[in-house]
Amino acid sequence: MSSIAAQASLSVSGPPDPDLVRIRDLVYQVAGIFHPDTKLRLLLDRCSRRMKERKTATLREYFECLTVRPERQAELVALLNEITIGETCFFRNVSQLDALRQLVIPTILEAKAKLPLRRLRIWSAGCSTGEEPYTLSILALEESSRQLKDWTVEILATDLNERSLAHAKNAVYGSYSTRHLTEYHRQKYFAPVADQLQVQPPVRTLVSFSRLNLSDDSRMLFMKGLDIIFCCNVLIYFDLASKRRVIQHFYNNLLPHGYLFLGHSESLYGVSEEFRLVHLPGATAYMKGERSQPGKKAI
Amino acid sequence: MISAARKANLLSQIEGLNQIPTIPVVLAPLLRYLQQPIEHLDVQTVTDLISQDKALAAQCLQMANSPLFGRWQKIDSLRGAVVGLGFQRVGDIAMSCSLLSILPKGRAGIDPVIFWEHSLGCALVCRHFARKISWPDPGKAYLAGLLHDLGTIVNLWMLPQDFAEAFNLARQQCIPLHEAEQSVLGFTHCDTGSLLAKRWELSADLSEAVSRHHALDESAEHAGLVALVEISDLLCRMTGLNHGFLESRQVSIFEQKGFAVLSKQCESLATVDWARLTFELDSYMDEVRSLVRAIYRK
Repeated sequence: MSSIAAQASLSVSGPPDPDLVRIRDLVYQVAGIFHPDTKLRLLLDRCSRRMKERKTATLREYFECLTVRPERQAELVALLNEITIGETCFFRNVSQLDALRQLVIPTILEAKAKLPLRRLRIWSAGCSTGEEPYTLSILALEESSRQLKDWTVEILATDLNERSLAHAKNAVYGSYSTRHLTEYHRQKYFAPVADQLQVQPPVRTLVSFSRLNLSDDSRMLFMKGLDIIFCCNVLIYFDLASKRRVIQHFYNNLLPHGYLFLGHSESLYGVSEEFRLVHLPGATAYMKGERSQPGKKAI
Repeated sequence: MISAARKANLLSQIEGLNQIPTIPVVLAPLLRYLQQPIEHLDVQTVTDLISQDKALAAQCLQMANSPLFGRWQKIDSLRGAVVGLGFQRVGDIAMSCSLLSILPKGRAGIDPVIFWEHSLGCALVCRHFARKISWPDPGKAYLAGLLHDLGTIVNLWMLPQDFAEAFNLARQQCIPLHEAEQSVLGFTHCDTGSLLAKRWELSADLSEAVSRHHALDESAEHAGLVALVEISDLLCRMTGLNHGFLESRQVSIFEQKGFAVLSKQCESLATVDWARLTFELDSYMDEVRSLVRAIYRK
């Protein structure tokens, strides 16, 4: 049996701890996130944080927490939170953002051209530490003198994790999060704070944060009037029934011309047939479409 | 469930209400004075009235400096608060501080601060929501929200053990507090609040908000204000301005009786941007918590 002290001496080149391997396989099975042997140290580190929190002494006992005990679902989510923290960054999926800017936004603006309210509302659902909504805000600011001229852009960002939200509101990021920033964006939208970068007020102004559990049906009913939803690498933590419920809320809350973006490797296959899959250059999205006008032109 | 005899005994004890402190003496003349037309009001008179109670004056000043009351510049005198915030805001603040002053400290292991947080939160949500739907009197909505759970103060003073049992049941099962009270005590904070409202001679509309906010069906004359409180209270309980726990039951605010009542009275309810509203309310949360802690923990 492996104690925390013994785990500390786990060698990357040594044989992997069988209980750690079982946790690795469980995480893969539930979330599709696979840690090869060379990255087991990272998984061990994440498990150790949770074990410390739960005062669990061994990996075997912790595996039981994840599989047998009544709190297994909550603990699995907590571990997945730990695993995914730090995995996000600014401009994480450039081709998705290009598709948004070049194809999706123009289509939505055209659909809304005759409406009195010139507002584009984007929801970053599961915004983690804020990199995604701030990236969307930068994109909106860049377009504010072009296609988004005279439009109000609102970015609603929600997450379940209060710690992540506090980080997001503080808006200070290290080198890992900012590694994909171009020099242009870095200079224009960030200010150095010690050895980190802080997002500047114009970017922050467009974004509002709130704690929201996507499984909370009462609160989900409020998220109305949306043009675009980003929900990247969040639904991987949900079982099929919960996923279907969340997707149904997304469908109901999007405006008729609305779009849903999921993570790079996610799809609605087997989850929902209401959305229409749209292939964009280098990315995919889901379009709500208008039920009353099935022949209406999409991208 | 308690026996009928015990319920009758509890209610008769409560009816005496002897242990509950009265509201600060300066408050009644202050609120009476502030009911006059604004052109008859004088800054110095209001300042003098509040200054009679030094503790209340200090708390009012602290609260007046919170962004929750719309002031971002530092106010360093009571007179400055009256001038800067206006008569109604100062009246709201004085009432809010008074309610805090009558909360018992640390009874039966329950932290009374969470009730004041919820009450202050509900007052702010009522006022904000009232403005959103063009309700004619947002000031009244604030007071109704502030006082709606008056009965929990009665319960905390008069029945600390029984109320703690009800509260713990609510917290453990994540059910609404009034349902747990009904099950443990046989009555709710609406019933006990109604007794205190009568004792304090609250106006008819405020009394109805106190006694009917979980029983809108029984509300008649002031159903609109009661509905406003019902919806605001629910919004608070769905977010961080709850009673210290999130209720597990999933409800749609749009299917509440209060929503139907307000729909008939306020056309602008149909145009409320609920996503924006809930995000705005979220911003109250941290402010309410830090203000309450700053005042109460001193």
